[in-house]
Amino acid sequence: MLFLNVLFGVSAVLTIASSLLCVFTKNIMHACVYLLGALLGVAGLYMTLGADFVAVTQIMVYVGGIVILMLFAVMLTGGKEFVSKAQKLLNLVPLMGNKWTFLIASLASLVFAGVTVQLYFKLPEFFKTVDNTEFSSTVDELGKLLITDHLLAFELSSVLLLGALVGAAIIARPRKEEVK
Amino acid sequence: MISYGSYLLISAFLFVIGLIIMMARKNIVAILLGIEFILNSAALSFVTYSKFITKNLDGHIFALFIIVIAAAEAAVGLAIIIRFFQIKETIHIDEATELRN
Repeated sequence: MLFLNVLFGVSAVLTIASSLLCVFTKNIMHACVYLLGALLGVAGLYMTLGADFVAVTQIMVYVGGIVILMLFAVMLTGGKEFVSKAQKLLNLVPLMGNKWTFLIASLASLVFAGVTVQLYFKLPEFFKTVDNTEFSSTVDELGKLLITDHLLAFELSSVLLLGALVGAAIIARPRKEEVK
Repeated sequence: MISYGSYLLISAFLFVIGLIIMMARKNIVAILLGIEFILNSAALSFVTYSKFITKNLDGHIFALFIIVIAAAEAAVGLAIIIRFFQIKETIHIDEATELRN
């Protein structure tokens, strides 16, 4: 119980702080590293929800795969930051881009505030909790579901991954006439 | 125990963060990064509903497939970025103005 609360608190703070830093940093390399922190926080949240397999998959695929891939892409493409040359005042505000993107971002924040208020006051189950803290492993249940009810989606995802692999290799390859 | 709404709030927060990153950044890698945030918020919502509402494991399955699709999307997206960089020598989104080179 106490462990769950502590894990939830640490994960929530890690997620929110990392994602905020990811918005406010000017360096794309740092943003990728902050993304890693946010993903680890979400994995911790999965743990508090009793989703152990999803949490481990999250860490392995996202942190081990996608963030590393992004860091490679940043390094391969120069990794320069694009500080806007525009208005000095807007440059003080640590959001990249011009005033329109800043305006849209403010609107999105307002929408989030609206969602928060709606959730807080309108959702009758907002403070609902589940009392069983006895988590059992979900791995065998998930395995059975994957090869019975969701078999088609499982097989299709393998085709999708193969297609993505081949497609990525073909797209990133330099064309023959450019090699010379 | 931690309440149901707190997970939904964190999920909504991640969604808005991803949206802001996608709209405010001019770097294509950063836009992909925003997409990852949004996919994560969706997966977190699925697992939350599966824990508190439906009480079965279907939400976990959805979260797993979301992770798979995010991996495929990141691979193809980064390949496109690298190709774009080879052609234009920049990854600024405003340079992407035409479909063929």
